[in-house]
Amino acid sequence: MSRLPFLFIITGIIGFVMYHVFSLLSLTGWLGNELRGPEGWFHAHLFVLGWATMLAMGAIYQLIHVILQSNIYSLRLGYWHFSLFSIGLSGMLYGFIRADVSWIASSATLALTGILLFGWNMAVTLFRASQWNPVTISAACACFYLVLTGVSGMLMGLNFAFGEWNGLHERLFGAHIWMGTLGWFGMLITGFSYKMLPMFYLSHNFSIRLQKVVLYVWNAAVITGAIAFLTGIKGGLLWFALLLLAAAAIFYVYHLEQIQEKRHKNNPGPGIRWSVYVSRAFAVYVVALLIYSAQDTELLLHPRVVLLSGWIYLGAWVSLTILGYASKIVPFLWWTHKYGKLAGRPGTPLMADMLSERNIYWGLISMVTANLLLVCGILINLAEVMMVGGTLLSLVSIVYIANIAYVFRR
Amino acid sequence: MEQTTPLLECLKEVYDPELGVNIVDLGLVYEVREEPERVYVRMTLTTPGCPLHDTIVGAVRWVLQENTNKTDIEVQVVWEPHWTPELMSSEAKEMLGYF
Repeated sequence: MSRLPFLFIITGIIGFVMYHVFSLLSLTGWLGNELRGPEGWFHAHLFVLGWATMLAMGAIYQLIHVILQSNIYSLRLGYWHFSLFSIGLSGMLYGFIRADVSWIASSATLALTGILLFGWNMAVTLFRASQWNPVTISAACACFYLVLTGVSGMLMGLNFAFGEWNGLHERLFGAHIWMGTLGWFGMLITGFSYKMLPMFYLSHNFSIRLQKVVLYVWNAAVITGAIAFLTGIKGGLLWFALLLLAAAAIFYVYHLEQIQEKRHKNNPGPGIRWSVYVSRAFAVYVVALLIYSAQDTELLLHPRVVLLSGWIYLGAWVSLTILGYASKIVPFLWWTHKYGKLAGRPGTPLMADMLSERNIYWGLISMVTANLLLVCGILINLAEVMMVGGTLLSLVSIVYIANIAYVFRR
Repeated sequence: MEQTTPLLECLKEVYDPELGVNIVDLGLVYEVREEPERVYVRMTLTTPGCPLHDTIVGAVRWVLQENTNKTDIEVQVVWEPHWTPELMSSEAKEMLGYF
């Protein structure tokens, strides 16, 4: 097995720990402050690129040959991608801490080059395999949106350095966030879930009709939202994008129910169960936000609504889903690497022996509880509650990920 | 040629590492026979593109080599007929909490 997924996953775990250590040092104070500054950029990029994207890329390198039943186009490109992206991201984060534009610009160029290599590698792999179904199309769309997110970020950086398109900066910023969050993570999580959930639930003979519906509607939400930001129309059009997203989330959650109805394995593991629970919670939040903002669509752009929605989406749904899946992906990777060739021989451990389900269960419950406290703090705008919730979340998150990382010692 | 029951018993040593159930009780083995020069296995997996494909096939080879002293082990993974949960033994269903 290639070491590439390991490199990304281990680096992602390091990024996750770093994010929470920095959060603890600031007692989550950065969350309540203005996010549009170097400190906010540092935390946001460490979380989004250093943790979630890094681990998601590792999962893609691991799962793409399973999904396509063919190898990736170029492993060498994958290693180049890892090197450029990691070095570029480290430089960017350092540049944000020092608020040094030249560091940010040069490092962002390296990181973007890594992303472009990744996009190219995935595009050739997918087109060569020519297996077009909701899983592969979702993965292709996710990678496409990641490239667009990188390009729009670079355009913002150029504008920041040369300052010639002031009117466009704000528009690019909105589209950059919308495509990166809903496009990249949204399409990837929904698409990969169609493959992973049936495997872990041992589900058979369920209808896949809704997978296509989610694919179309979620894509429509991403494109509509990006257009709303790029054209500066926002308000009504953004609310319409949210309406599409709510519909897609409801269809997605309903499809997860269909998969579970046809299961033949009672216990898929707590990580998989919780990925379903947080998806339901996310769908409920999107509907609630849709109803709340129906009275005035400009409410969607209120800083506290943006912060709350951004945290619920990235900090809760995306991150907890990745953490839940990681409790399956990491033991699988390590077991296959270390014990795969010994399968069938006496004394070889089972995959289930690699990681305690009980620890994962309590870890996820603790993180969800701390997350709820943090969300309540944002909702009622009380810094003390945010601080307690955020601190608890960071502490239990570090324990949880240490537990997963301990698999590498087994 | 007839199914070779002792070999089927040997294959019960091969577990699906994710499910924790052996491949015979899972109903993955369609045919196994010992010929003069080789052992032939026709089997499937619970889903096409199973990430444990190579691991399970490798384990089948190893177990059969150990139990027959033959080095020519042919493992053919087929998708027709498709695996269905009905192929599982009652022991496997019980282990998985089948209902």
